[in-house]
Amino acid sequence: MRIGEVETPALVIDLDALEHNIGVVADFYRDKTIRLRPHVKNHKSPQVFAMQTAAGGTVSGICAAKVSEAEVFAEVAGNVLIANQIVGDDKIARLATLARRVDTTVAVDAGVHIEQLSRGARQADAVLGVVIEIDTSMGRGGVRTTQQAVELAKQAMAAPNLRFRGVMSHQVPRARSPSRKQRFAEGNHWIARVLEVREAIEDAGVPVELVSTGESWTYDVAALHPKVDEIQGGTYIVMEVPYAYMSEFRFAARIMGRVVQRLDASTVVGDVPIDAIGAPNGVPTVDRPQGVQVVSLDHHGVVLRGDSIAVLSIGDPFFLLTHQQDVTMNRWDRYLGVRNGIVETVIEATARGCIN
Amino acid sequence: MQRPIEKPIGTPVDELDTPALLLDLSRFDANAIRLSDAEQPARAEAWVHKTPAIARFQIGLPGISGIAVRSIAEAEIFAAAGFDDIRILRPLATHASRRRAEAIANTATVILEADRPLVGGDWFEDAVTVSTRVIGVPEPGRAILDAGQKAVGRDFGDPRLLGRPHCTASAGSAEHGVVSFPGDDTFAIGDWLQLVPADIATAFALHDFVYATRDGALEAIWRIAARGAF
Repeated sequence: MRIGEVETPALVIDLDALEHNIGVVADFYRDKTIRLRPHVKNHKSPQVFAMQTAAGGTVSGICAAKVSEAEVFAEVAGNVLIANQIVGDDKIARLATLARRVDTTVAVDAGVHIEQLSRGARQADAVLGVVIEIDTSMGRGGVRTTQQAVELAKQAMAAPNLRFRGVMSHQVPRARSPSRKQRFAEGNHWIARVLEVREAIEDAGVPVELVSTGESWTYDVAALHPKVDEIQGGTYIVMEVPYAYMSEFRFAARIMGRVVQRLDASTVVGDVPIDAIGAPNGVPTVDRPQGVQVVSLDHHGVVLRGDSIAVLSIGDPFFLLTHQQDVTMNRWDRYLGVRNGIVETVIEATARGCIN
Repeated sequence: MQRPIEKPIGTPVDELDTPALLLDLSRFDANAIRLSDAEQPARAEAWVHKTPAIARFQIGLPGISGIAVRSIAEAEIFAAAGFDDIRILRPLATHASRRRAEAIANTATVILEADRPLVGGDWFEDAVTVSTRVIGVPEPGRAILDAGQKAVGRDFGDPRLLGRPHCTASAGSAEHGVVSFPGDDTFAIGDWLQLVPADIATAFALHDFVYATRDGALEAIWRIAARGAF
């Protein structure tokens, strides 16, 4: 099918751009020891994960945000890292069952986590890997002090059916669109913090085998630090407008819509409702046609305005870029993979909606 | 598709896997009866909830006949579920969509122009919440939740934390919510909470199942069949 025949709205993936993005990471890591751990929350698709591992530069496993999300990849992932805290007997029983099928590690930031995980793993006769999450710039999960991390590492080391593995963190740059210099300065700052905690844990006599940190924006910064084992990366896969400062990566996902109504000479309505793209961080950017802006977006559609609107007729296509890629990807059950104007493949987002 | 831990009917609501989209049927029924008017014929806005089981209840109320959906894809799903009077709100702009509308017209009346008033969006007021659990309290005054933008939505703003007026909730991240709380209102890991979404239709657009509850117990699990049928 030609892209002009696609029924809209649709999430279209530029396969050349997707392969380019995957290739940038694979090429950069080819002669290095650091690897990228694909974060599947960003694409939800075993098919895309297979492309990432085939290209190289990645670990054989995945990073996931939720247990149910990781389960979708259990058969294809060599191992699982859940970069989140998992609580409650039910959910931990499920996690421990997953750990019997595939090597599974989970992040903790409190003693209660370690107690619950140890009990659940023991009941399931499973072994769960544990990493201490360190807060670096996010203000959500993660220990705030080095001392907390050392105590948790000792506790995890001693806990039955747990295997203490190391530390993880996640970070975002404070600058809105950092220069390369700012990006390296901030990235180095946060990674140094993670390595400082790593050293304190080792000094306390607890061996550390894994330092996992993220995200895509530090994929190259982290390579300067031999003690970082892996980067948890996901945004680079399809990219988003606020991440454009990572200019080696290309926008690979667009929401394709069509004009369904003309309001006046410079204003039309398109068939993309807000829930088809999601706008937690601002309205989307119009990629094509050029010179067009989103003036409003609601459950019934998108209102577009601009100089070049006059040439648009009812039924003509337009393309939107998201400002928050994983939220957008999570709205769609499948994506259309397009190359040279032809729909080449349908990519199933098998883990869409896996928020449990 | 969402993959929750399955629980039997009758399960107390706070034992359901989180996050979950909860519909309090007592409140919904009361809203529906209060806001529908037998004297004023109207269509139910099924696009808001995208759930055939809810739309079936709506068209059973006095004065309500037919449903309204946004897209041809939603119309196809509701027609396949047995609905025979469907208004499609979005103009049909392509030959393909007009052909699809003709196909639906074999089994249902398809309306493309405004006819009866649309009702039902506000029937969900105070009836829909997203359940969540505290997964961490990493510093005083700050609790981290297992429900973020992908569970409760933020397209129309942050959610509110039910029954805790002194706390501020935010769906600050895709996977995490955050609650800021004062010193005298504390939270612990594992606490079960309910977030009130800023926008009902966004919440339904994120989940594949809605958990219908009454008096704090699970009464039914309904598939949000037209979710993603943009």
